[in-house]
Amino acid sequence: MSTTPTTPLTDQRTELLREVGYDDGRAGTSLLVDQQIVASESAHPDVEVLPIGQALKTYDWLQDLMFGLIDPDEDEHVQQAAELLNDPVGHFVRVREGAVVTSPIQLFSILESPQGRQFTHNVTVIEAGAQVEMISGAAVPPSVHAGHHISIDECYIREGASCRSVSIERWGANMESHGYARTHLEAGASATTTALQLAPIRHHLANSVTWVERDGRNNDRAVMLAPAGTERVVDSTVHLVGDRAGSESVTRMVSDGGVIVNTATLVGDAPGAHGFVGCDGLKLTDDGHIEAVPALRAVDPTAQLSHEASVGRIAIEKLEYLMATGLDEDAARDLIVQGFVSLELDAVPEAVAELVAETIASAKTGGM
Amino acid sequence: MLEVRSLSASAAGVDVVRSVDLTIGAGEVHVLFGPNGSGKSSLLKAIMGLSPYEVTGGDIRLFGHDVSGHAPDERAALGVGMAFQSPPNLQGVSVRSLADALGADDRLDEALTMLDLPGFDRRQVSVGFSGGEVKRWEVAKLHLQAPRLLLLDEPDSGVDLEHVAAVAVAIDRLVRDPGDGAAPRSALVVSHTGSVIEGLEVDVGHLMVGGRLLHTGDPITLFDHIRTNGYVAPEPATTTS
Repeated sequence: MSTTPTTPLTDQRTELLREVGYDDGRAGTSLLVDQQIVASESAHPDVEVLPIGQALKTYDWLQDLMFGLIDPDEDEHVQQAAELLNDPVGHFVRVREGAVVTSPIQLFSILESPQGRQFTHNVTVIEAGAQVEMISGAAVPPSVHAGHHISIDECYIREGASCRSVSIERWGANMESHGYARTHLEAGASATTTALQLAPIRHHLANSVTWVERDGRNNDRAVMLAPAGTERVVDSTVHLVGDRAGSESVTRMVSDGGVIVNTATLVGDAPGAHGFVGCDGLKLTDDGHIEAVPALRAVDPTAQLSHEASVGRIAIEKLEYLMATGLDEDAARDLIVQGFVSLELDAVPEAVAELVAETIASAKTGGM
Repeated sequence: MLEVRSLSASAAGVDVVRSVDLTIGAGEVHVLFGPNGSGKSSLLKAIMGLSPYEVTGGDIRLFGHDVSGHAPDERAALGVGMAFQSPPNLQGVSVRSLADALGADDRLDEALTMLDLPGFDRRQVSVGFSGGEVKRWEVAKLHLQAPRLLLLDEPDSGVDLEHVAAVAVAIDRLVRDPGDGAAPRSALVVSHTGSVIEGLEVDVGHLMVGGRLLHTGDPITLFDHIRTNGYVAPEPATTTS
């Protein structure tokens, strides 16, 4: 068991974090508050959770993984994070080879300072054959409306390992968030990710690139809501670089006056690569817009790639069908929206399946 | 329960219901026969207030209330419910969640059992249902709503022989045995084939052709006549009610 001296979680913080997945008795916990890791601990012998600065001093090989999957000059926000390399802030998670970790590892960020700026650079290494579940959450206290969060996540899933994860974000309504996620799936590795982006936020960028090696499998689902005043820009690319690599990406978007721009690109580089991209949007009002851009690039002639995209209003026949049962229009609309964004919970870590279902169920139009 | 007077309705500018008069009293079950495209479903949808049907003449009174301009939920609140012929797929909306929304979760299992729909509480409404399952679910849905007037649009079409009887029994129970000492319900059943009436006690039969009610009378006699002569009014035609 690796343990780092920590500042105990306060009741106020744990109460806030429970809404984004926190619970006692997890295999590991990391908590970033503003620009400081205040909790970093492991309760499992095969799991290490360390502040990234400490981890860099402990493992020299980690230097090669920092910015191993993303260019420090990617854009201005990544550049800003790269400038903090002398004193990096973030978490390092390592799951040892062959470990089967049944309790999730939980990783959280809180921005407590109004108008604060938070940079975090996280590295995760799931070693060969390991199996793990992870929960990540982001939150602000009710008193914080504005601020800026920038995160870089680099995740290495080694050969034959598997990672099932869920992320829940609840930033402030007037905040900005720029997230850069890079994942490398080695041969036979699998990643199943579920992202819930339901709370109002002024501007949210989610930029991700995933590389899938031979027989690897990527499966990601995202549910996003944009009430008036919210802009979400999602740009994801999955490269199927190994033979028979596979990927399935499904996004459900609801605009209730806000803007969602979702560009999802699937690249089939290798023989037998196969994948699917689905982007479905529901537009509830005249305001705002949804732009869904699924893109396929088949480099290898044997790659089999497909996509679906749809954006539209709720069909009047669906509304009236429910209204004919006695539900008023608002109740009928809510039921349809809930159905649209509902997820098969099989892919969600069991420990948070109920929370995920409740979070989606409470995601009323107009914001949570 | 239902009074339709000189009702005319159109859809997308096309007249589909023409000067229909129809009265259904408390506890009465009426069946509406007619060929495809005769306006049967249009009449039901106009009564329910569904798009794109627009009343162009006459009026509809439900339980004494003129429902002109009423939305479907307002009509449902008065006590009318409808089993759809071709309901939309509600992606992600489970049968259980709809029952919850209707406050009828405690009646769901019984309704699904009665219609031989085991395990359907987790299914998404109408998604992937076979033709027969759609019809059985629509009747089960009416059990959840427990309306005083039932509008059933082709509840027997696409249903295999084994389940036609179950559908008919379920409808009959809905109508005749509402429970808690409540008065029997009323129903207007649209049927293209007429097979449902073999297991359902029906009081009045109507023949609709070209948007008009051509005949009203004994349902069994009318059904026999249609089987022999097709969708033409018996001679002499009786006056529509």
